[in-house]
Amino acid sequence: MNPFEYVSATTPDEAISYIGKNGRYLAGGIDLLGEMKDYIISPDILVNVKSAVNPSIVFLKGDLAGWALPASVTVSELVADQGLRSTLPGLIEAATEIGSPQIRDMATLGGNLLQHSRCWYYRQPDIVCLKRGGTTCYGTGGENKYLALYSGCACVSPIVSNLSVILTALDAKVRVKRDGKEQTLSMHELYQEAWKNPAAHNALQPQDFLLSVHILTRVNRSAYRQVSEKNAFDWALVSCAAAGNVTDGKIHDARVVLGSIAPVPYMVEEANKFLEGKPLTDETASKAADLILKDAKPLAQNGYKVPLAHTLIRRTLLALNA
Amino acid sequence: MKPTPPSPGLDRRTFLKGLGTSAAVVAAAQGKAMADELNKATPPGPQGPGPVPITLSINGEKKQFTLEPRVTLLDALRNFGPLTGAKEVCDRGMCGACSVLLNGKLIYACMKLAIDAQGHEITTVEGLAKNGQLTPVQQAFIDCDALMCGFCTPGFVMATTALLNSNPKPTEAEIRTACSGNLCRCGTYPHVIKAALKASGQAVAETTTVINHGSVA
Amino acid sequence: MAAWPDSPQSLGKPTSRVDGVAKVTGAAKYTYDVQPDGWLYGMILRSKWPAAKVTKIDLSKAQAMPGVKAAVLAGGEQRTVRFYGQELAAVAATTKQQALDAIRAIEVTAEPLPFVVKEDDAIKPDSPPVGDGPNLSQPKVDSKGDPNIDALFTSAAAVCEAELRTPVQLHHALETHGNTVSVQGDHVVAWASTQGIFSVRDGLAGNLGMPQSNIQVICDHMGGGFGAKFSPGVHGGLAAQLSKAAGAPVKLMLTRLDEGLAVGNRPSSIQKLKFAAGADGKLIAADVENHGSPGISGSRKTAGGGGGADIALPYIYNFPNVHSQQFGVIMNTGPASAFRAPGHPPASFGTESMIDDLAVKLNMDPLQFRLLNDGNPTRQREYKEGAEKFGWTAKYKKPGSDPGPIKTGIGCAGATWGGGGKGSEAQVQINPDATVEVRCGTQDLGTGSRTVVAIVAAEAFGLRPDQIKVKIGDTNLPFSGGSGGSSTTASMSPAVWDTCQNALTALQTQTGVADARGAAWPDACKKLGINPLTAQGKWQEGFSSSGAGGVNFAEVEVDTETGHVRVKKVVAVHDCGLIINPLATTSQINGGVMCGIGYALYEERIMDRQTGLLLNTNFDSYKITNIADCPEIEVILINMPERGVIGIGEPAVIPPAGAIANAVANAIGVRVHSLPITPAKVLAALGKVPNVTAV
Repeated sequence: MNPFEYVSATTPDEAISYIGKNGRYLAGGIDLLGEMKDYIISPDILVNVKSAVNPSIVFLKGDLAGWALPASVTVSELVADQGLRSTLPGLIEAATEIGSPQIRDMATLGGNLLQHSRCWYYRQPDIVCLKRGGTTCYGTGGENKYLALYSGCACVSPIVSNLSVILTALDAKVRVKRDGKEQTLSMHELYQEAWKNPAAHNALQPQDFLLSVHILTRVNRSAYRQVSEKNAFDWALVSCAAAGNVTDGKIHDARVVLGSIAPVPYMVEEANKFLEGKPLTDETASKAADLILKDAKPLAQNGYKVPLAHTLIRRTLLALNA
Repeated sequence: MKPTPPSPGLDRRTFLKGLGTSAAVVAAAQGKAMADELNKATPPGPQGPGPVPITLSINGEKKQFTLEPRVTLLDALRNFGPLTGAKEVCDRGMCGACSVLLNGKLIYACMKLAIDAQGHEITTVEGLAKNGQLTPVQQAFIDCDALMCGFCTPGFVMATTALLNSNPKPTEAEIRTACSGNLCRCGTYPHVIKAALKASGQAVAETTTVINHGSVA
Repeated sequence: MAAWPDSPQSLGKPTSRVDGVAKVTGAAKYTYDVQPDGWLYGMILRSKWPAAKVTKIDLSKAQAMPGVKAAVLAGGEQRTVRFYGQELAAVAATTKQQALDAIRAIEVTAEPLPFVVKEDDAIKPDSPPVGDGPNLSQPKVDSKGDPNIDALFTSAAAVCEAELRTPVQLHHALETHGNTVSVQGDHVVAWASTQGIFSVRDGLAGNLGMPQSNIQVICDHMGGGFGAKFSPGVHGGLAAQLSKAAGAPVKLMLTRLDEGLAVGNRPSSIQKLKFAAGADGKLIAADVENHGSPGISGSRKTAGGGGGADIALPYIYNFPNVHSQQFGVIMNTGPASAFRAPGHPPASFGTESMIDDLAVKLNMDPLQFRLLNDGNPTRQREYKEGAEKFGWTAKYKKPGSDPGPIKTGIGCAGATWGGGGKGSEAQVQINPDATVEVRCGTQDLGTGSRTVVAIVAAEAFGLRPDQIKVKIGDTNLPFSGGSGGSSTTASMSPAVWDTCQNALTALQTQTGVADARGAAWPDACKKLGINPLTAQGKWQEGFSSSGAGGVNFAEVEVDTETGHVRVKKVVAVHDCGLIINPLATTSQINGGVMCGIGYALYEERIMDRQTGLLLNTNFDSYKITNIADCPEIEVILINMPERGVIGIGEPAVIPPAGAIANAVANAIGVRVHSLPITPAKVLAALGKVPNVTAV
């Protein structure tokens, strides 16, 4: 790593005051320190934000009942929360698959959402790819078995945050402090910049402070599934999250999302609409999968992600019946 | 399914007001203790990039260092400790050989800055055996031959120790999950599972048969 | 033929490692942990280009940086680099951070050259020349039996033909390569992470122009080798030069990225195999061709051990007629080196895949087909024992016959290896207080050789292994060869035994005690008075031999809707002569199975055609097995004391990939022809990936 200054902040405003033009927030550090060790980024100051927000997971009652999850909560703390487990099983399923026990004890909700690309061209210390400011996306014509089926720009690196996928299915909102004020963003707004801008991993600038994630408890079912090559501690080849309300054997307000196949959590409204009011069967789940995948543009080596995603969509949707 | 609030009485307004206030009103017990320690240990204002005084509590002892902020906890332990039990293998949080406990939680020391490890209780493999008495986990690793070259062993010992601290009678599936952040190239996994079962007082199946063969022809 | 005792007390008993306590407490000092007074950090600057003409390497900025005590070039300033990661220069500094900063301050001026990093490209006649000659070697041609082999294929009842591929596999021992070298005037002490302390000593002697007797190399504990750690390597030479320049010990350990670039790998293979069998199930002919790449070079150009690309085709079966051609293809990638059973795992995978295909074509049980065509009586026994434990006959179904998307399948494969060894020497000192120290200049890579020494000495003296102090890993101790070829136990145990027998004879002479062994030991030793007794010994005939083998049975579960393969169970049956420590032997076999699973399902080094660089630089993308990938493993050891000590390290890693590949084909009814067998390839083989046919 290159040298840097270090400071601990006790409030978001304090953190923002330190970050400057070339600083970074340090939470778990799993993503950040890795990039710094390979000199992909070299911030001049790290601002430790683990104590900058109240780390409690809170359930809020009232007409907009729901969960308020501070960005600094660790993945292990999410997994351990019994309330989350009983109301949002998909969130726990997604969190449980993240990394390893050591990573889960260190990594935070905020860090997981904002983590940078894991495309091996992006991460290779001696390659400056398009995403890093170079001129070429090497993945497009290169070793692309782990890369995206969809992209709105010339970068084909897919999002790998498990939590982004399930939180999109849960229609979560994030609270962010940027430009001096607190804002609420949808998951779509959080990531959309990465769809069209090859240099972006999400919509936030390094100095924007992710405060919390809010999930209104509208849905009574959620599920998350992924497939990796190894049986643990491996990136997902494809992941899928689904959420909705199942009543009288029919699903309402379904949201089906794919991860690891686009720069953003990938959702197709047409599929969600198709599922409205239908029972979740192999046939309806399959049709939804067809609708989600119909515009897939496989690269030379990642065509397998299409049948794999199809299977995951079916299985994740059928899991909502349980 | 009716959701149950974990923090009764805290409504949205109070919560949102609580967000972004100073360490003095941090509500959660662990957060408060951490913030207090941090305020004690870390002077206000940015430190570095040159070496700064750092105090780490390692195996119950406070040790003073003078280190740049970019020095990881692993580097601090190994090169300045010197406590070489935790190993440098991948330096990217992918193999577990550097695993230590931070307040009892299993972490990768290579992905933790030493300066950020202040105010926490760090336990390394050297801190397990007291007065030369091996822990049941350590003894079980020897008895079950859960080590070969041994380079991954401190990490696995820490992972197994952390597991049994929170789950005294784990199933095989739970053992595998608890050790899934640790890699071994020699391939001791079957014996690590046996060692964890043995250390937790559970039965271990014999899976080797020796057949004494007469002459080849 | 062996002269080991008939009813041993210690030999053959499961024995905990004598270095177990040191390892579980963190007390064991590995090469990476050694910190002599005043030690400096060494680091290497490596080529960022896969091929380039370097005209200038400016060390001046680095030399001026704080804490930098020395900076040296690796091979002169004007030179041609030929692979990404080739060593250019090295620095030594007081802290790791200073060394990192200094490396980045070295300025290299170079003109990139054309390069080739893929076998399929390098085979073509118009590929950019990697070295001075053609990239494609002349073939090594071999034949046996009828030269008119094509006719035999035309008339055979069953012919199977396919192209099978195995990737470059990286050793990735957890402890990286490296040495701490302390040049002190005209003598040197070096700590090396090595499989051959004497090879390091002699290499450093050459590098520094010093007498071998002035150099001591120590390796008390090291974190794995798997064949890649012999000689000081370029990095060891650089550590020595830095130490000489700085006047201080320099510890130069490689990074994880370095391990994937420059210090060895298992060559790849592209095998075109054609096998023929008769209606009676007997093999008739094999026509085999291999193109393998040892990168920029193998450490020796010959087939088998040493890193050349030739592989042991066709593997183990009785083919009366064979035609074989093997080509080496060089590329701008890191040099190959020996990797646990060089040449055997790829040959086993290819051969065993075709054997199963032939059996299926003839409607025969693949196990029966093997028993018919594998003449080795030990493997015959191993197949039978293993099949019974595994439940082969009850489990065997026609390929792809499981209904439903999750399909199980089974497969088997066999292995052969040399092993054996000779030439070791040892010394023992017996003290009047009955303590014993055995000394041998061997090394323990995790194989348990330190414990073997203790067991053999304990057997000789009628003591317990934990009563024997063992000193190994030092070139000041009696010579033992490098730990390669699965030869250490076979080389070193007869030497220790001979040493101890000599000691007993001397003890009798000096004390008058007729038999000092066992209960009589303390009193006999007391009679030594004030002089300890030292005895020498060396390897003798009659205690070891060569020729080990084994078989694996594997059961897998394939999810045909995701392509995911899970190994559920492996039964591994192995022989290695006299088994000295069944506990450690089991560990070696478990380890071979886990490495074989990695080779079968997860591991491949991936170079980028566009940039010539390595893409999977660490463990999240170079995928060695996790504990979650570990199946139920049962081990059967065939103990053959009459054959003496042989060796197990390498045979253990040979058969898993073939057994697993066959199990997958049995499960899904089609074959994936290349390793690793990933979900992508399984889905493609099942016809589920549009536009991808052959896999």
